[in-house]
Amino acid sequence: MTFEVMRPKYVGARVQRKEDPRLLSGSGRYAADVQPTRALHVAILRSDYAHALIRSINLDLARAMPGVIDVIDGEALASELKPLYATSRMTGYKPTALWPLARDRVRYVGEPVVAVVATDRYLAEDARAAIQIEYAALPAVTDANLSLTAQSDFLHPEHGSNLLVSRNFSRGNIEQAISEAFRVVSGQYRFTRTTPVAIEPRAYTAEWDRRLARLTLHSATQAPGIIRDALAEVLELNGPSIRVLAADVGGGFGGKVSLYPEEVIVCFLAQKLTRSVKYVSDRQEDLISTTQAFDQTVKAEMALDSSGRILGIRASILGDAGAYSIYPWTAALEPMQIAGFLPGPYQVPSYEADVQVVATNKTPSGPYRGVGRPGACFILERLIDKAAKEFGIDPLEFRRKNLVQPDQFPYKTGSGIVWDKSGFIECLDLAAEVIDYTTLKDNRDAAKAAGRWFGIGIASYAELTGLGSRMSAAPGMPINTGTESASVEIDATGSVIATFGTASIGQGLETTLAQIVADEIGVRPEDVTIVHGDSAAITHSTGSYASRSTVLAGGAAHKAGKEVREKLLKAAGFLMDCELLELEIEDGVVRQPATNKVLSFKDIGRAVYSEMGRFPLALRQELDLRATSFYDPEFGTTTSATHIATVDIDPETFEVRVLRYVAAEDCGRVINPQIVEGQVQGGVAQGIGVALMEEVIHDPQGQIFTASLVDYLVPSAAEVPSIEAVHLEAFAAGTIGGYRGMGEGGTIGAPAAVANAIADALSHLNIDITELPATPERLFRLVTTANQEKA
Amino acid sequence: MKPPPFEYFRASNPEEAVAALGAHGGNAKLIAGGQSLMPMLNFRLLEPELLIDISKIASLKRIEKGSSGRWVIGAGVRHRDILVSEVLGNSYPILRAAMTHVAHVAIRNRGTIGGSLAHGDPAAEWPMLALLLDAEIEVLGRSGQRMIEAKDFFLGALHTSLSEDEIILAIHLPPAPVAWGFFETARRAGDFALAGAGVLLETQNGKISEARIALLGLGETPIRVYDAEAKLEGENLNSTNRAAAMEAAKAACQPMTDLHASAEFRVHLAGIMTGRSLDAAWGQAIC
Amino acid sequence: MLNRRTITLNVNGEAHELEVEPRHLLADALREGLGLTGTHIGCEHGVCGACTILLDGESIRSCLLLAVQAEGHEITTVEGLGDSNHLNFLQQKFREHHALQCGFCTPGMLMTATELLNQRTSLTERDIRDALSGNLCRCTGYDHIIAAISEAIAETSGAGP
Repeated sequence: MTFEVMRPKYVGARVQRKEDPRLLSGSGRYAADVQPTRALHVAILRSDYAHALIRSINLDLARAMPGVIDVIDGEALASELKPLYATSRMTGYKPTALWPLARDRVRYVGEPVVAVVATDRYLAEDARAAIQIEYAALPAVTDANLSLTAQSDFLHPEHGSNLLVSRNFSRGNIEQAISEAFRVVSGQYRFTRTTPVAIEPRAYTAEWDRRLARLTLHSATQAPGIIRDALAEVLELNGPSIRVLAADVGGGFGGKVSLYPEEVIVCFLAQKLTRSVKYVSDRQEDLISTTQAFDQTVKAEMALDSSGRILGIRASILGDAGAYSIYPWTAALEPMQIAGFLPGPYQVPSYEADVQVVATNKTPSGPYRGVGRPGACFILERLIDKAAKEFGIDPLEFRRKNLVQPDQFPYKTGSGIVWDKSGFIECLDLAAEVIDYTTLKDNRDAAKAAGRWFGIGIASYAELTGLGSRMSAAPGMPINTGTESASVEIDATGSVIATFGTASIGQGLETTLAQIVADEIGVRPEDVTIVHGDSAAITHSTGSYASRSTVLAGGAAHKAGKEVREKLLKAAGFLMDCELLELEIEDGVVRQPATNKVLSFKDIGRAVYSEMGRFPLALRQELDLRATSFYDPEFGTTTSATHIATVDIDPETFEVRVLRYVAAEDCGRVINPQIVEGQVQGGVAQGIGVALMEEVIHDPQGQIFTASLVDYLVPSAAEVPSIEAVHLEAFAAGTIGGYRGMGEGGTIGAPAAVANAIADALSHLNIDITELPATPERLFRLVTTANQEKA
Repeated sequence: MKPPPFEYFRASNPEEAVAALGAHGGNAKLIAGGQSLMPMLNFRLLEPELLIDISKIASLKRIEKGSSGRWVIGAGVRHRDILVSEVLGNSYPILRAAMTHVAHVAIRNRGTIGGSLAHGDPAAEWPMLALLLDAEIEVLGRSGQRMIEAKDFFLGALHTSLSEDEIILAIHLPPAPVAWGFFETARRAGDFALAGAGVLLETQNGKISEARIALLGLGETPIRVYDAEAKLEGENLNSTNRAAAMEAAKAACQPMTDLHASAEFRVHLAGIMTGRSLDAAWGQAIC
Repeated sequence: MLNRRTITLNVNGEAHELEVEPRHLLADALREGLGLTGTHIGCEHGVCGACTILLDGESIRSCLLLAVQAEGHEITTVEGLGDSNHLNFLQQKFREHHALQCGFCTPGMLMTATELLNQRTSLTERDIRDALSGNLCRCTGYDHIIAAISEAIAETSGAGP
């Protein structure tokens, strides 16, 4: 069911963003920018042991230091708060108690243990240095395999093991497929741990309202609604007592969508001290305590028939969840999505995956852009390339043969996910055309003949976006994220205001939602005020994550906008004494073309609200110029793309340069082409980082090495090429408005495309790329070994 | 990550700085550009009682001609100033290339040559360049002024022969061969090099009359590969002596294994960087 | 050791007196002391570039400069470029090219780009990428930023002193 907008004017157009004037002039309001009167500042003392019992904590010296107002530890909180659990209805799942400050034991380097509150952050850090803690070290486990087989020193002893999740999927008959296969390609893949590195570190300002004894938490969060609900639970507050505001957020990428200990701590302290309390994470803290990504080891095999058609895929997935199962997503989130998306956009008749997720003494894992899909795509696309090579079939043609064909939609994959019609083949063709694949191959062959290590890599993927209530980001997780709402109104001054439960993390929602409302109602986007990022503005919300905001909030915006338009026309029709069909709306003015009579929204607003006597009583109810609508797409919609990358590797220094990058995507109807392009480019850049340089590194005792931006590397402008993002205009999705989510696609395809390009560049040495990032050091080792084997 | 508390004193001349250093017996630190010092303070890796600001001392900011064809660069001269200096660019063209590898624009706008030398990071460009250029470092302490040859200045990683009460006044660069080669390899643009090499060559009648090879990021200090240099004299660069020089560079370095590269990989890179730098310098020398 | 002292900072053409400890970073003095929160703090070790401001027209990291060291200099922050109602030429280019998403790195980018523009030399895409390599962005993938700055330079270089 699609709602067609009459003569869409703004949806599809390059509308300049409403967010930009404030962000460009430094007038944005990020959580750290909020400066309430007499606010206090928090410094957190974090564990420097990966696993230890807390024997004693001495806060006396700290308490006596200048400017210190209070110092609290886990025991002080234990009597005041309830712990939170990320529950799940999945059989066998083991939740872990989440306390904001460690009690009895610490489980990862970076875990918060004590909070110091002082008049400024400098003094708070001085006092932090005076805290004395006695730890009794316990054996730490940082390797997921070792954690799985451990017999003692469990992180959460009540569970009797470190295994948090164990699941199995099966469809078709994989045993038969493998035994009957003409060829089986396999590999063991390692997708190492990364971290989001939003340029804004997390920050939380709990503003205490003395007049009403209420809290407003200004939070660097993607999900004000989720955080509000969680805080209300933990602090035992009712709705009006706690409001969560996320006015401007400096990037999220999944690292700002879970409930963090520091959010609870500042709220608790603000209530206790009846003063505003602020915590700003520094970069070192961000790198050791913001939820981290990926970290899976996967054994996978692909069975093929004699013509190179896939018969089945089997995979064994081991996920490393770090020390805790975070709220609300659970430790199952990432690994389960790998299992769910491993069949990819291909025809895979038989499929089996078993998933195990263990706890280790590392920073808790959480969502990161792509969630499971970057890993799934990397593994699948490496197997595809390996298979293509073994069969001597061109990798593009191999994909074309195996992709779900246009006449096979809707297609149910081996994991039970259903792909609705999306341009799988069409994106493949488009990418190949834009990069001129045929000429590119000739150039590659010539380059290789001349001794250059030049390679081409392809990655095709599909994902489910705009998930509705019958799909879950993480199976069985405690909240349902399948609905968004839109409340649209025309106020007494004739202004259009649209309120949503989403949040701004840079993705331009204020603009794209305004474009939708503008088209539905008949005003310009700059005349629509968008309100979001505020848990109090709307009865219920969750936030922005999982590529859902445009689909769900956008769909609701269409519905609510349409309703308000009808009411407006009814009022105008009455005031102008004509039929509704005779009226047109443009740029905030209602006109009857036949007579050229006009009424502005301001005129109508005044009439409806201040001159209601002009309308018959019976009509007044219908003319309330407001509407609230909900949209639940139930399942979700398929977004797909093919990425093609070229790389050049220096044969002596093993520096990898990505030369060209083309991403051809089907994201349904485009609202704002520049915004879509920006999302793809940003995602691809992050994916290039994953492919080449990003890695969180712990030693076996759990000490973290990558605690500064000198050690954890993210790409700068010099490390990424120009990224050509092209959009397939063919199919609107079956969602209201025809939109598909597209915020994560860039990160899904890029690690695989770059990995495949590197493998292609190294094909003369028969080197398989099974581990990312493909750093110069790793390539040096692989090449040295390959040369030794040759000799 | 806020610095620990300290007192602050702005010195108006080098003597004041020396006196303040002396009065605090190792518990004071000089700050000029602060690009190396500030991160350490923000991470609380250092807790000095006193910071002595020398960034406004005019006498330290001069680039001037010295005696015997030398150039004298004041310790307070910034990387950025060296990058754009025509006179230095003419006499020591390798400097311009090397300076573009120093971090990023904003760091070069504050960071000073004195700061880089005093910090003594073996992976930084200036310690290696000082060694390559046979520089002399002019220093002032309570016991007076002295000159320290670059080869005696760097004792270990972040460890120089400066005493607690000494301040660098200037670096003296004697005339040097102008044909140059400079290559370093880093994880990203502007990052500390995994390995780097600098080469200077003088030729006479088509043969090498003087060769200098120095390495950065490959040991506790920058390294001069003296034995390789001697073997190149009197020859033109050919595949044999080029390979020998690369081997000598590999043998001379003692790199560490860290997050970014293993010692073995660095040794391999030492050879590559040396070979490429020799090629570039030779290419300039013969045309 | 609350050894505060009063300093005068010249910011965006105005002189301000404030009380600081010697250890206070200029970034914090601007943000907390003067309420100029447009300058953002991203790492406090000089790598991310979010805190970049202009000191006497040259880009520097305000997280690596002590407020007391900034006395006697002209400081320009993003607030000195334009305001929401009057974006300057470079800010307009950023807007036209969608060269920002979350906006957190943007003030730093603008200051670095302002310095580049003031140099009035024509630059290749490679040159611009290298010049910006000290300003990290996680949202845009850089293309649109490069395009905005490229166009700004093309339209101003050769325009005379």
